[in-house]
Amino acid sequence: MKFRILLANCLFALLVWAAFWVLVTLITVGLGLTGRLTQSAWEVAAQLPRWYALFFGVSLIHEYLPLYVAHGRTRRQFGVEGALTLILFAPFLAALLVISYQLESVLYGLAGWPHVLERAHMFTEPTQVPLVFTEYLIEALAWSTAGAFMGAAFYRFRGGGLLSIPVGVLLIAFAHSAMGVEPWGPFLLAWLRVLSQVVFDLPDSPLMPLLGTVGVLVVGLLLTWAIIRDMPLRNQAS
Amino acid sequence: MRIEVEDLVLRYGDVTALDGITLTLEEGKIYGLLGRNGSGKTSLLSVLAAFRKPTAGRVRIDGQPVFENGRVTSRISLIRDVGETVNIGTGEEALSYAEALRPNWDGEYARSLAELFKIDLKKSVKNMSKGQRSAMGIIVGLASRAPLTMFDEAYLGLDAPARQVFYDQVLADYLAHPRTIIMSTHLIDEVSGLFEEVVIIHKGRVLAHEEKDELLAKGTSVTGPAAAVDAFTAGMTVLGSRSLGPTKSVTVYGELDDARRRKAAESGLELGPVDLQDLFIHLTAEDGAAR
Repeated sequence: MKFRILLANCLFALLVWAAFWVLVTLITVGLGLTGRLTQSAWEVAAQLPRWYALFFGVSLIHEYLPLYVAHGRTRRQFGVEGALTLILFAPFLAALLVISYQLESVLYGLAGWPHVLERAHMFTEPTQVPLVFTEYLIEALAWSTAGAFMGAAFYRFRGGGLLSIPVGVLLIAFAHSAMGVEPWGPFLLAWLRVLSQVVFDLPDSPLMPLLGTVGVLVVGLLLTWAIIRDMPLRNQAS
Repeated sequence: MRIEVEDLVLRYGDVTALDGITLTLEEGKIYGLLGRNGSGKTSLLSVLAAFRKPTAGRVRIDGQPVFENGRVTSRISLIRDVGETVNIGTGEEALSYAEALRPNWDGEYARSLAELFKIDLKKSVKNMSKGQRSAMGIIVGLASRAPLTMFDEAYLGLDAPARQVFYDQVLADYLAHPRTIIMSTHLIDEVSGLFEEVVIIHKGRVLAHEEKDELLAKGTSVTGPAAAVDAFTAGMTVLGSRSLGPTKSVTVYGELDDARRRKAAESGLELGPVDLQDLFIHLTAEDGAAR
């Protein structure tokens, strides 16, 4: 069956999202009832799905590549299916976030809470579906591509994979700079303020998000391929 | 599948795991791959399955190169202790990936094996016991029906009855669906009954590759009075010796012709067979290996 990995991960992501949605909604209602809700809760919560995308990219190489090679697929065959899986999984994640914002919009409307955004985005209202979808699509593509690259580096070089982290950071920062959206968010910046300096000054053009995303995707996948094209499977369990 | 290996070298940094191996294995047999820890068994199997690219040398399977050759690798299955074929979700999920990726997959057989090994397929493979994970690997390896099936210490953690089920199933499925099977093992006594040919590798080189019976015929234990044993074995390849009081037992390597056997009888010496494990121990002992 083609795209077995994609289907399995879409199903799993759907289950995780359902649980996460319940959690975020409960927190939202709690804050709303106590009068402390001042912005879109999903604007904050959406920082976690990008990490999910990152670890999806990592697992693609760390878990699925050995499985596929051990079942007789070549690295090239896996590379093609893996890249397509990564590209198709991103819109699925983006769609889940669109749905999250839409459901949140209904909830805020019913409760009369202010549905406002506090950070810069490609969209100015959470209900601007095409722009919400585009921003999270770019984000998911960049983070999962960076994850695949770093996953490949850690699988092949073990501790040497640490050297791939700055490259992964640059891939993510470039994609976010291209769409003019802060990549790291308050969660991570509270710990690693140095990351706020990793921003590219790119021309302000409507084409920039598209070019930036394609660039990150192509460079990230080529770097990943350079690592996995003749990568040995480990002799010992990790 | 026919395997041809020529001057195969595999290095991990400064360590040479395979040091110029040349070997031909004809198709349709069960091979035993024996060697001490670190001898290069896993490395050899990893190269045959295209898990690794060799440093130098040539590997051909059915006349074709194997690394990154999907037409060949899709017909090869290597099951290792690492568990890369099964460490994904539940047992059901692991089998569904095998079904999706293995052209000759027999799902019904896989489920019957799961029952034999008493595996709960709804359980996460990573949460299974070591023996259960090994059984999952064996299930995938057998039910894949790959024309070249290799098991590298695939039984680790299995108890004795489960190991017997494994050996019985290997033989039964091989008879029903003949293919080339290579089994790497340290439990030589347990598995040797299955082997048609034996390959012994030592320090990355082929030490012996023969039909099992021919190999066994080359090992003989000579037992009797110490002086008579020493006189009889002078000039022969002695793999090992043990003494108990005036009695000495020596293991020699090499075929004994009729004249030699008569001479042994006249000297009051007892000649006996050596089992594969003893022969392996003697051959791969440091002095034996250097014979």
